[in-house]
Amino acid sequence: MIESLFISLQLALITTLILLLVSLPLAYVLAFKSFFGRTVLEVFVALPLVLPPTVLGYYVLLLIAPDSLVGSAWSSLFDSSLAFSFSGMVVASVVYSLPFAVQPMQQAFRAIPANWLELGKVQGMNMGQTLRHIILPASKGGVLVAAALSFAHTMGEFGVVLMVGGSIPGETKVASIALFEFVEMQQQTEAAQLALILMGVSFLMLILVYSVNRKPLLGGS
Amino acid sequence: MSQINIQTKLGALNLQGQVNFANEVIIISGENGAGKTSLLRCIAGLQACSGSILVGEKVWLDSAAGFALPTNQRGLGFVWAEEVLLPWLDVAQNIQLGVAQEGKTWFLQVCEQLEISHLLKRKPAMLSTGEAQRVSLARALYRKPSMLLLDEPFSAQAPDIRARLRQVLKDMQQTLAIPLLMISHDAEDAKVLAHQHWRMREGMLMTSVSGTELLAADEHR
Repeated sequence: MIESLFISLQLALITTLILLLVSLPLAYVLAFKSFFGRTVLEVFVALPLVLPPTVLGYYVLLLIAPDSLVGSAWSSLFDSSLAFSFSGMVVASVVYSLPFAVQPMQQAFRAIPANWLELGKVQGMNMGQTLRHIILPASKGGVLVAAALSFAHTMGEFGVVLMVGGSIPGETKVASIALFEFVEMQQQTEAAQLALILMGVSFLMLILVYSVNRKPLLGGS
Repeated sequence: MSQINIQTKLGALNLQGQVNFANEVIIISGENGAGKTSLLRCIAGLQACSGSILVGEKVWLDSAAGFALPTNQRGLGFVWAEEVLLPWLDVAQNIQLGVAQEGKTWFLQVCEQLEISHLLKRKPAMLSTGEAQRVSLARALYRKPSMLLLDEPFSAQAPDIRARLRQVLKDMQQTLAIPLLMISHDAEDAKVLAHQHWRMREGMLMTSVSGTELLAADEHR
């Protein structure tokens, strides 16, 4: 049980870190740029919200299968298979939780007053400096919400990790899958404990999200 | 000698005019919606427009050649009509935003002249409108700009401090030897400061009204 919780935590943490890095440029272009294909990109980011996790898992499996482009490149680089591995689960989790990271950041970016961005230009700042000194400090709350939601959502994954990871004990068997197996084998005590812990983690994450949303970190009047 | 020659359609407004100016103070007046702010924004490069802008030897805009110098390379001092201060930075940090280092002495001098030396550690939320306006002016001056663009910079100042600020701007403009373009409805600003006076009506920019002519015109109305 502890082992599966540890894998879940590890997966959630790594996924959240990667998601913050991946979502930043995505949220940036979606919030500030207009370009051809913008709506399509927005739809792709939002797809995991409505797609059955098994569908997503299926496509990720196709993507990372040993005979696929990504899969074969990975195995020649690292001498291991991406499918049914922890790394494969990370790939799937990043895709699955993408909207939970991108959307809060995108909304926070959009809420920045236009003249704060102009201020960056007027003061001679380049894009990177404006991002560091104006955009990110102004959307601290949104970034925090993105991290909390990505973490909680990854902790709560089931279908995708089952399909891509395959529930290998000690490697890809995460807490939510362990809970399912406890229930199947009628190990009520373990099931109850694990359910309570997962419930607690989600509860804490949402407390964080709602308290951030109440108190606008954006400041202003 | 610098030159602005623009003709551009901004929504319902047809902004046009051709003006020459040296390193001097220019007061811009005109009714609401006449295009004064749009003119400043075009000069700053915050608003796309067609025409040409030449500042000293440097080309800022040549729309016929498809060239526009990015705002962050124009070395501007810009003051918006509304308050634009970053709420999470204190006054000193706001003034130094994006500026590498202009020296402690210069910093203290600017703050003292704008009568904000006692406010340096305060957050913008703790400033009065007038104080916030002077902080914005200090920020524009501190970076030793190549041109000052001020949109009603004294609107929130009491009459006595307004008189002192005029003198400060006059001295600063001479010390920095730069063009200073300032939107103002205060005839006293024109009388004390203006080398040139531009008037705007429905997007049309008209030049070469002396301070006294303006006074006469205003009395006539």
